[in-house]
Amino acid sequence: MNMHSADAETAEEAIAVQEKLDSNMATSMAMEETLLSPRFYTTDFAEMDSINVEPVRKDWDILMTRMVSDPNKGHFKKNEDWDHVDWDGMEPTLKKEFIDFLISSCTSEFSGCVLYKEMKRRGSNKDITQLFQLMARDEARHAGFINDALREAGVAVNLGFLTQKKKYTYFKPKFIYYATYLSEKIGYARYITIFRHLEHHPELRFHPIFKWFREWCNDEFAHGEAFALLMKTDPKLTKGVNVYWIKFFLTAVYATMYVRDHQRPAFHEALGIDPAEYGQEVFAKTSELSKQIFPITLDIDNPRWVRNLVRMQKANVDLAEVAGKAGFGAKIARLISRLRVGTAFILLYAIPSKTHEVPESPRLEPVW
Amino acid sequence: MGVFTRRIETAPCTVEISHKFESLHAHVRFNNGATVEPGDEVHVQGPEIMAPFGEIVSEDREAIIVRASALERLWTRLTGDMEVMELCEFSFSEEVKL
Repeated sequence: MNMHSADAETAEEAIAVQEKLDSNMATSMAMEETLLSPRFYTTDFAEMDSINVEPVRKDWDILMTRMVSDPNKGHFKKNEDWDHVDWDGMEPTLKKEFIDFLISSCTSEFSGCVLYKEMKRRGSNKDITQLFQLMARDEARHAGFINDALREAGVAVNLGFLTQKKKYTYFKPKFIYYATYLSEKIGYARYITIFRHLEHHPELRFHPIFKWFREWCNDEFAHGEAFALLMKTDPKLTKGVNVYWIKFFLTAVYATMYVRDHQRPAFHEALGIDPAEYGQEVFAKTSELSKQIFPITLDIDNPRWVRNLVRMQKANVDLAEVAGKAGFGAKIARLISRLRVGTAFILLYAIPSKTHEVPESPRLEPVW
Repeated sequence: MGVFTRRIETAPCTVEISHKFESLHAHVRFNNGATVEPGDEVHVQGPEIMAPFGEIVSEDREAIIVRASALERLWTRLTGDMEVMELCEFSFSEEVKL
């Protein structure tokens, strides 16, 4: 049996074991390394720890009971549904974009895990630490699953960042709630939309990982529910000046998604998805969900909405064209492109939003 | 903590890396109860730690914590939020072209 680095007595020995393993693997296929670089930050841990979930106790307990029962345990395993992937036969641009998808997704899950675990560790409030522990579990599980798909594609993740110097920045708890809540809910909407589309067009499913999207996004959904409940414990978070922040996050998250999706045309073409239509569908679903806690939604049917998304996307492409180029002309071109991106964002933000009555209980079930 | 000066301290820590199919995660835990505050820098000493696929590796190391000055701490608290969008996931990297 091969020795593994966990048995090694020194770090040097561990590295030697790892190198041998990697080189064995490299003989069977050329492994490409990708360095995972999650973000490290702090927040007001004391404030988070002082959250009292009593006002939402009933919904909280239902959610926690379900998360503790771990309905997806054992789901993230390769079984006979995991078809063979013809990596060598995959069109090179599609392969590049798909690997970018896997690496970015793995990094997000991994970063989520780092963040949740840190919150769990710094807290003493039993409700809060339990929640973050459970979410860290799910994220690490997803990361492991994606990592395996990456290994099949010949990509090895390097966790060397742990021994590199890292600076810790700071985010206010409320910004973490808005950003993470939206991230989890839009993640659900994105994955379930692709999953349902591929149910109707199984011939377009070019990789088996899409079959796991439903359970994967149900975890995201549950995490979003938890953040909705956390926000519900403090009505100030969704009132007054914070509504402007909510609008900012909604606009920024939707616009960024639109821009990024359009940067991966081969991925979407292979799935038979038009990124613009897909975007609108995902925004509509996310808005419907976010009514559970946010008093506003964006008016995505306003003609200015799509018009300015397109402007932003174009300006972003032009910005990339001149990025890294030297000279005064390039500097001016960069400045102009940045101004265009900024203007498009302001115009998107300026579209009047729709207001809603927020329900007493935010609780929702994944229905799509 | 000085207004302009940084303080350097060392802390024993445990680094755990899980490179298993069931769970991919990595954490650094300070064993003397040290906590990291905004603007601090942490550098775990020693060579890179690797975990072969399928294994969990846990190692005790020493970390150097460079404590931010009061001014840096304040600055980080005031401006850190500007990067909060990095918490959002979009399935793809920000590169326009790959």
